[in-house]
Amino acid sequence: MSSLFRSTAIVAAVFAGVFSLASASIAQDKVITHPQGETTISGVPAKVLTQDWAVFDNLNALGVAVAGVPSSNAPSYLGDQVPADALPIGSLFEPDFEGIAAEEADVYFIAGRSASAYPTAKDIVPTIDLSVNNTEFVSGIKHNITTLGEIFDLQVRAEELNAALDAKVAEATAAAEGKGTALVLVTNAGKLGVYGADSRVAWVYNEIGMSSALDSVKDGDHGGDAVSFEFLLEVNPDWVFVVDRDAGTGESAGAAAALLDNELFNQTNAAKEGHVVYLDPQASYISMHGYQGVMLLLDQVLAGLNS
Amino acid sequence: MPALILASIVTIILAVVSIFVGVSDVSIASLLAGGVDGRAMEVLLISRIPRTLALILAGASMAIAGLVMQMVVRNRFVEPSTTGTSESAALGFLVVTILAPGWPLMAKMGVAALFALGGTALFLRILRVVPLRDVLMVPLVGIMLGGIIGALTAFVAYRANLMASLLAWNMGDFSGIIRGRYELLWIGLACCAIAYIAADRFTVAGMGKDFTTNLGLNYQRVMVLGLVIVSLVSAVVLVSVGSIPFLGLIVPNLVSLMIGDNMRRTVPWVAIGGAGMVLACDIVGRLIRFPYEIPIAVVMGVVGSALFLYLLLRTPRGAT
Repeated sequence: MSSLFRSTAIVAAVFAGVFSLASASIAQDKVITHPQGETTISGVPAKVLTQDWAVFDNLNALGVAVAGVPSSNAPSYLGDQVPADALPIGSLFEPDFEGIAAEEADVYFIAGRSASAYPTAKDIVPTIDLSVNNTEFVSGIKHNITTLGEIFDLQVRAEELNAALDAKVAEATAAAEGKGTALVLVTNAGKLGVYGADSRVAWVYNEIGMSSALDSVKDGDHGGDAVSFEFLLEVNPDWVFVVDRDAGTGESAGAAAALLDNELFNQTNAAKEGHVVYLDPQASYISMHGYQGVMLLLDQVLAGLNS
Repeated sequence: MPALILASIVTIILAVVSIFVGVSDVSIASLLAGGVDGRAMEVLLISRIPRTLALILAGASMAIAGLVMQMVVRNRFVEPSTTGTSESAALGFLVVTILAPGWPLMAKMGVAALFALGGTALFLRILRVVPLRDVLMVPLVGIMLGGIIGALTAFVAYRANLMASLLAWNMGDFSGIIRGRYELLWIGLACCAIAYIAADRFTVAGMGKDFTTNLGLNYQRVMVLGLVIVSLVSAVVLVSVGSIPFLGLIVPNLVSLMIGDNMRRTVPWVAIGGAGMVLACDIVGRLIRFPYEIPIAVVMGVVGSALFLYLLLRTPRGAT
């Protein structure tokens, strides 16, 4: 009995192997190299999950339908582009592995906040890490768009997006030339923070070439430090780009403007000239590595610089 | 008395140091050179003096809140952050921020104070049903209650995308203080004054309900007064600068080691000691990574936990 069962199983396995080989050879296997290894994708994935809003943003820009998205922090600029029936698959940091396993998706994207899910996720579903290093901001985004274009056979669309992004960056760089020093400020619950050269807001300095007002400060090695209004007065930037972390609910919009409207900040060059640009908080803090997010940010920078 | 004067002088020196530490150039020379309308004078008036006042007010009132709490609960190891009070105030502030973001800060503070009052009352209610064989049980119960309320707060904040704000509130930090942004803290000073006036009542209440009633005092009323002081101070400090851990625990204990438990005598000591400790920690936080700042909650956490361990280890267990 048991030998009969075993031989049946072997036959079944052989057949299954032949079938999978056959289907694979038709669909063409693609090996995608990413920061945490290599992942084989067979054919064009139909069911797509992402744990990261920037990846969703890129997929959306390419025109790829997404079946599963993070359960929270949906950037408002994406609005109704997030399908209402998309499956919530856990927070930005903690994937709902059981839900993901049940989906039997063709591909699952993680990045940045969710990158540590890779060792667990790779055994459940073909997983690709699309983390972007903030020191290679624009090239990282373009690399991701190219990779996604390959996976979904949308190379032409991907090239169009990359060309548009390059053009926008060039436009912003041209606009920024000769505009003086810049400071990116993150405001949170009445407090101010400045971030360093490898942070998620450093693209203002690294990519569009605004010189950092912090270069004049002795200690250049900082990563998210509290500063006082006196500090702003002394650093005296020509331009200030504000990321308002309190604006998460949307209702407290204007909190950063109210915070900055004081006797000390109003004496800085930026405030006197009206050179204070409020960046979309979700695009700049949650999905800055997404095509639509970074285009929105660059448009806001351009609108500010050219006003 | 001379010792108290000495402590006052040390605190005043710290206050003067605090006025002259900062990113802008403010010194006697620059003040004289700039005159009344100069940059140095402006920074002094808009930034330095308000910050120093805020430090003194927050430090003194948090320490007094701890002292009152210890009297009311009759336990050495309680303060607003080990009784669920601070956590409740944060929950209240969060709820009012979500439901009525347009309200003035004063009204939001009021809501936070009401939540703090509710949370502290709940703590006292729980204490009545828990058999307390050990002095350490009381703060443990409080810390657990605080943990539950904190978890609830985190859940609400997570749902409302306000985690970042919640973290900032829980992290006491004076870097954003300028003229016009600290005045609520004067309410804390008023609470200190009330605590001083009612000091004898708290001392008596600290000896127990029966003893208090025998002396002809309304025990319940003294308790409520104490709770209102503690809740109001916690809410005011939370809304203005964020929570400052350990302060209300360490200062009253150190003072009690030095001069005993008569509250009439300890109130000035606790107020001055609290102000001095907060000033010192904030100056350190401003200097370590100059010109950037380290939040006072971090400095206080390090200094405070070391001192707290010392107090725990030196007090024979079982003694109050």
